[in-house]
Amino acid sequence: MKLFVSGRSAWVSIAITLAGALLFALLPAFLSPYGVRVGQLFVLAAGLAVAWTVLGGFSGYWSFGNAAFVGTGAFVAALIELALPGWSPAGAFTVALLAAMLLNGLLALVIAWPILRLRGIYFAIAMLGVSQVCYELVSNIDALRGALGVNLLDIVPKDVRPERFYYWALLLAATAIILIAICVRHSKLGYGLLAIREDEDTARMLGVPTAPYKISAFVISAMLTAMMGVIYAHNLGYITANSVFRNEFNLNVIVYSLLGGMGTIIGPIVGAGVMTYVTQVLLGDLLDIHMFITGLLLAILVLAAPNGLYGIYDAYRLRLKRQKREAGR
Amino acid sequence: MTMQTLVDGLVLGGLFSLSAVGFSLLFGVLGVVNLSHGAFVLIGGYAAYTLHEKLGLDPLLALPVIMLGMFCLGYAFQRSVIQWATKRASLLASMLLTYGFALMIRNALVLIYSPDFKSVTPAYAFDSLSFGEVTVGLTRVAALLVSIVLLAALAATLRYSNIGRTIRATAQQEQAAALCGVNIRHVFALTSGLSAAFAGAAGVAIGLVMPFSPPDETLWTVNAFVVVTLGGIGSPAGALVGGLILGVVNTMTAQLIGAAFPNAMMFLLLVLMLVVRPAGLLGNSFKGSR
Repeated sequence: MKLFVSGRSAWVSIAITLAGALLFALLPAFLSPYGVRVGQLFVLAAGLAVAWTVLGGFSGYWSFGNAAFVGTGAFVAALIELALPGWSPAGAFTVALLAAMLLNGLLALVIAWPILRLRGIYFAIAMLGVSQVCYELVSNIDALRGALGVNLLDIVPKDVRPERFYYWALLLAATAIILIAICVRHSKLGYGLLAIREDEDTARMLGVPTAPYKISAFVISAMLTAMMGVIYAHNLGYITANSVFRNEFNLNVIVYSLLGGMGTIIGPIVGAGVMTYVTQVLLGDLLDIHMFITGLLLAILVLAAPNGLYGIYDAYRLRLKRQKREAGR
Repeated sequence: MTMQTLVDGLVLGGLFSLSAVGFSLLFGVLGVVNLSHGAFVLIGGYAAYTLHEKLGLDPLLALPVIMLGMFCLGYAFQRSVIQWATKRASLLASMLLTYGFALMIRNALVLIYSPDFKSVTPAYAFDSLSFGEVTVGLTRVAALLVSIVLLAALAATLRYSNIGRTIRATAQQEQAAALCGVNIRHVFALTSGLSAAFAGAAGVAIGLVMPFSPPDETLWTVNAFVVVTLGGIGSPAGALVGGLILGVVNTMTAQLIGAAFPNAMMFLLLVLMLVVRPAGLLGNSFKGSR
């Protein structure tokens, strides 16, 4: 069976991703510890945004509730580690990570049946509801310790600085997510999802198995988001329901994609980079009006560049092409 | 005991209805999901608070003034920002835009009023009425009455007045309405103004009954969505039914299951409703629900 529908461009994207990841892996050598922290935030944001894109960007089903998977992933991992007291940190972490991804995949599979039948705004809000329900349950059921908080295992090796370790861990996860997203995008599944985004009824009429495709993308997106959530939770070291079921996780991923370019893989990465830089570095000292400026940026973004930075680039490329064609005549 | 819970639920439900009806109207007519609706609600509440503290104006007397002010705000908001966004980008993008405005308003409210809880306490705040074993605070009665009267007024306006007819016509078929001489942009802006005015009124009523703080805006936006989904989009009656159901479910859950669970119950109900009947109990097939 052929892996990719459009083989060459897939391999090019994969090569670029690997090269980029390698470059980013070398960065901590040149950055201050604070710089590495900002780097962590960027890599986390990019990973979450690309994981969201697998469903939201490709198929046009915008989830407003991906924090559900971040939080559920984090708590499943934390509780499993609690349940394995005698294990070595590395072993317990591996089990916890795999279990968290698996359980989130299952969760997505179960809720996919009812809520993926909803479209557009209704799907978005239903997902917001799902994330709220998960948050409420985790924080109100004592056994899940959402209100009390849970400590996670310290998995940092002795001779590595913790901020560097988590930077690399998040980078590794984000790279894996991007590679998987590229594979999805160039496979038959990816083309099916794009067809669903353009016109779901027509796609179905033409023989795209829309329901299985949507569910697959949803499950993949949920598992990848959970993976990021587990690593992020370990980076925090101690989590409560409030610290992992955050509304930012729900909405920022969409903002990144919008800023960079909806439906592309490079878009959310660029968007995450720009937003992280602006909010953490440029506005890092203005905590009082942080929210105000974020809101303002959002508004300007939607009004000025509805198709994102990639849209601007695309328009520019098209214009160049046209000019070249006209010059050649 | 159950009776008391039921009455409390109805009062809360009245507030839910009033705070949701504007959201519902905007969603139904323009298809715009206004995520800054909750922030508008809070602006109403803070306006009542300021007028009461600074001028000693009774919240119920301040209500028309606040509604008028909010109407102008909503009208301008539509004509300047939303219209631009929906023309250039998608309706989903207008959601992000309004989310941005919600953040800005919330931040501004924190800066002006501090993040602490505020409440509006007129002289009669501690009086109450008793019917047998049921006791209801006077402010709660006032809030419920305000909700019902305003909702009825809106329903009547939409049904019988000229402007109501044009709004409904625009919601059903934009182009046809335009061909018949309706100024679509004006109608959209009027709808947005009405929506904001009702949000402001809800804020006043909420201020009478419970303390509020800037982060509450998310809560009121989400509540509005749940109410609208339950009751049906674009109809005041739907908002009333949805709101009352939600209010009663809320207090009943708190009473019977546990004080921590009303929100979880609410969202469960929302997801169930979306699955079973996305158009809501009394839904019109308006733009947003198609």
